Amino acid sequence: MTDSAPNDRTEQMEIDASAKWPVLLFFAAALCWLLVGGVLQLGASIQLHTPAFLSDCVWFTHGRLAPAAQNALVYGWGMNAGFAFGLWLMARLSATTLRHGGWLFVAAKFWNLGILLGVAGILGGYSTSFELLEMPRFVTFLLLAAYALIAAWSVTTFSIRNTENVFASQWYLFGAAFWFPWLYAVAQVMLFRVPVHGVLQPVVEAWYVQGMYGLWFVPVALSAAYYLLPKILGKPIANYYLAPLAFWWLALASAFAGSSRLIGGPVPVWIPTLGVVANFLLVVPAVIIALNLFGTLAGRWRALGGSVTLRFTALSMFGFVLAAAANLLLALRSVAEHLQFTLAAELRDWLMFYACFSTAMFGAAYFILPRLTEREWRSAALVKAHVGATVIGVVFLVVGLAAGGWEQGHLLNNGALAFTDVTKAMNFWFTWRSLGFGLLLIGHLAFLVNFAWIAFPLAPKDTVVAEFRNPPDLALPASPTEEGHA
Amino acid sequence: MRNGLLLFLGVFGALALSWAGLLMTANRQLGHLGQVKDPIDESINPALLSGVANEGLLVYQDLGCVACHTQQVRGEGYGADLARKWGQRGGYARDYIRDHTVFFGSRRIGPDLRNEGNASLHAGVDADFLYRLLYAPQSVAPGTNMPAYPFLFDVHPVKGRQRSDYAVRLTGRAAPPEGYEVVPTPRARQLVTYLLSLKDTYDYPIEKSRNAPAEEPKEGGH
Repeated sequence: MTDSAPNDRTEQMEIDASAKWPVLLFFAAALCWLLVGGVLQLGASIQLHTPAFLSDCVWFTHGRLAPAAQNALVYGWGMNAGFAFGLWLMARLSATTLRHGGWLFVAAKFWNLGILLGVAGILGGYSTSFELLEMPRFVTFLLLAAYALIAAWSVTTFSIRNTENVFASQWYLFGAAFWFPWLYAVAQVMLFRVPVHGVLQPVVEAWYVQGMYGLWFVPVALSAAYYLLPKILGKPIANYYLAPLAFWWLALASAFAGSSRLIGGPVPVWIPTLGVVANFLLVVPAVIIALNLFGTLAGRWRALGGSVTLRFTALSMFGFVLAAAANLLLALRSVAEHLQFTLAAELRDWLMFYACFSTAMFGAAYFILPRLTEREWRSAALVKAHVGATVIGVVFLVVGLAAGGWEQGHLLNNGALAFTDVTKAMNFWFTWRSLGFGLLLIGHLAFLVNFAWIAFPLAPKDTVVAEFRNPPDLALPASPTEEGHA
Repeated sequence: MRNGLLLFLGVFGALALSWAGLLMTANRQLGHLGQVKDPIDESINPALLSGVANEGLLVYQDLGCVACHTQQVRGEGYGADLARKWGQRGGYARDYIRDHTVFFGSRRIGPDLRNEGNASLHAGVDADFLYRLLYAPQSVAPGTNMPAYPFLFDVHPVKGRQRSDYAVRLTGRAAPPEGYEVVPTPRARQLVTYLLSLKDTYDYPIEKSRNAPAEEPKEGGH
């Protein structure tokens, strides 16, 4: 270890240098979408308690604004951030440079052009009304082609790896790289190209939605946690021998879990039942993964204070556990009876996408970006603002959506109560939800400013840097001690 | 796990299994559901949507009504959908074969609309009511958080032209200024036609028997 450490570091710097511009570009695009999507989401959320807000303009009617926000966040922020992180980590773990990165610029441009057209298409009235598939059909090919280029880079990097072992993070990234195009292509064909009839459409929709969250965002978040925890703590993953079992089990069960969204719906009972069984099966990998991750962190909680990345990673781990619990609860018939069409069902998706995935990407960004730019975060206050707003916002929304969903479910199931009374009672929680999204948006803004500051600095570095205290975790680790990879 | 090919096959297999096991199996079972002819009154069910209603379906789709309204009625003993008069019975898969796009929805910010046009459940709901609801929601449902859709209506002076047959009858604060009338655009008319076509009134004998609870065995019977 002592002899190889300097060489490892040189190699890592070479890899980082090769990945620098593609990764920065994807992160920059991701953060712009995070802000745009967040603003749209806040607007849509305000409309629930102040219906007159922006309602006169057809482009911003709630039915268009809400899906536009969700698509901007999922495809714009989520997938761009996933690309940035995934490409970098795949190169690092495969101990090989990211070659011919120029093509990734092309892919990034087409991907983001596709989303821009798609989101504008939704606002302009070309929505398909299928959840997460609202973007009009003319962007399908653009997105798939751009994605193919990006995923091909990740998979090629993996296949020319210079390492013996394949680490857990790589399985999850490799899986996610393939799952998205298949999910997306199958959903596009079955819903639009050769549309299936009747209630099969919602079945495909539920399969796709759960697939996106459970087989793309959660795996990418897990790959971040599996990498960052041992890297920063300098100790191997606890009970690592169980990790392969968790991976395969999670992949198999997640693919079936979507149909539990149709509990009580007008579909043959076996369809939701299959999803319920899958959600019960998901308890096993969730427990293993929690053992792996929390086991690694056990006894080292103090390290959280010294590392922003660790704090976000820990938040993501809690998000993962809560998401697993929410998936399980909403798959129970008696719970779904009350909660399935309420804010609580929204909470389940939000936990997977935001509390688990987005926080993991923040953590990864705080780790990666100083290494790529070789600069340190300029403003510690903005870092603090981001961490603070995210932690408080997540707790605030988990409480609000859970309690609000619970109340909404019971009000809706009280047949004697007029619907407008349900709405009036829910006003409080809709307002709460807006506050939560607003809080998160503040954090995102702080992060974006800080990111722009080090990624695309306008002033020469030495004129600004001295005034700010740097967050402690930015010292590059002296000796990478994690097992299984360079 | 060092073998890239095995990893690929496993990853592929996991998703392929759910595609075959869930989507294709469901397609095999439900892909060929057809209309049913009632043996007594010889009606064909579910009746197809009219052309205008189908256009309205597209308006419903592009305005994103599905963001707040479900179109799925849960059956007896599960939730309060029937008590809320969102349907006369739980929905069947066959009800949906007439819809080009099925809007199950996943959030009930607003009420379920699967039987919005079912006059036996919703007495006051007619075209006029729906126009007023779309133009000025607070005028018919005070306290609702449904947004107004003013862009589906045309407000113009009556002077110098014939009064429209479709002009929306509005009173109070929602009423247009003196000498003006509020006329639904073609898109509004299509949407309302679609909403009024939403009803699952026919109870299919096959589905009914399949969904009915099992009868108690009679004591001392043959």
